[in-house]
Amino acid sequence: MTPRHHLSEATLVSYAAGALSPEMTAVAATHLLDCAHCRRLLTSAESVGGALLERQQLLHAPADRHARLRQDMLSQLDRLPPQDTAAEITAPPAGKPSDPDRLPLPLQPYFGPNWSGLRWKWAAPGLHIVRTATPGPDKLIMLKVAPGRAMPVHSHQGSELTQILRGAYDDALGHFASGDAADLDHDTRHQPVAASGVPCVCVAALDAPLSFPGWLARKLQPLVQL
Amino acid sequence: MSITKARAPDGSHWAELMASVTQQRDRESFMRIYDHFAPRVRLYLKGLGLPEGQAEELAQETLLRLWQRAAQYDPARGALSTWLFRVARNLHIDRKRREPQWASIEEEADLAGDLEDTVSLSPERLAEQAQLASRIDRLSTVQARVIRMSYFEAKTHSEIAHELGMPLGTVKSHLRRAFLHLQQGVQEAP
Repeated sequence: MTPRHHLSEATLVSYAAGALSPEMTAVAATHLLDCAHCRRLLTSAESVGGALLERQQLLHAPADRHARLRQDMLSQLDRLPPQDTAAEITAPPAGKPSDPDRLPLPLQPYFGPNWSGLRWKWAAPGLHIVRTATPGPDKLIMLKVAPGRAMPVHSHQGSELTQILRGAYDDALGHFASGDAADLDHDTRHQPVAASGVPCVCVAALDAPLSFPGWLARKLQPLVQL
Repeated sequence: MSITKARAPDGSHWAELMASVTQQRDRESFMRIYDHFAPRVRLYLKGLGLPEGQAEELAQETLLRLWQRAAQYDPARGALSTWLFRVARNLHIDRKRREPQWASIEEEADLAGDLEDTVSLSPERLAEQAQLASRIDRLSTVQARVIRMSYFEAKTHSEIAHELGMPLGTVKSHLRRAFLHLQQGVQEAP
């Protein structure tokens, strides 16, 4: 699977910086598992972090404090043998069991381990969702859109980051299939329509309530309650 | 500890020290790395909002990991500062969110990662690292600001937008342009 729609540079930078919300992080990490292109860019965003770390202007730390920490480190070196990580590093990724019922690892803390354990709730005709309880302001939801069904036209007050897990959808921005990310700006208005055949399942992180502009969509909003 | 820019060691210096750590378990070499990086990691963690004591503790843990997992560090895949940044970031996030998933995701992505893309520690690669540093100096004021707020304060796009009184889309495009600017040349590696 080679994704064709990727994380935005702004998302990758914030992911590398450890500055995305946990919900956005979960979706971005799910995309990164499948996307060598974004992993390469992530590496370079992380090297920006390394360069910044290196270039910090140090203030003079109290010498005795540094000496104490240094001594503490030296005494730990003897106690800690190197970990035998050679096997870990060379272990082929193919060795991972690929149970088709397993949800991607980054989503498991929110949705549980398995597809079969998801508790879908009817939200609107052709639309089922699983909500999660998140402590922060961001929301994380799983959506299942029946084949050929359209979502209401919507735009966003904040950002929406979606990863397509199964099936596919089309909107004005293109064709989004399993493995693709839709990393949308606040000013994007779109109406995804699920492709025919199988339901389209996505996981989406939202950092502000959606706004529905049209009369039909306004009628639908109470139903969808996103 | 006075570190002047003129004497700032480059990537090959750290790679040589790491080679003796990996091959001979050389404490001397390791402590030279420690003396340089531990205060920087500590400062980074303090900037993220950790109290002094916790920043010290996590910085020690970060450097200890380097000692224990020295064999995992491959200079061809990135600068030592990047490796340390990644470990410190992950330890901080783990502590903050109590979500051990993060670290394992990272490791898994690394494992599944692009081993085929590995290039040797060529002069070009070292030049790239130096180039990145000078590109950071040439960021515009606002780009430098959003980059610092992201990396050193771990602020989300919305938080930056709120703090700077900027539309969210503007924050994202500043971050995007800053990244594209920093990346020029780096991305051209095969």
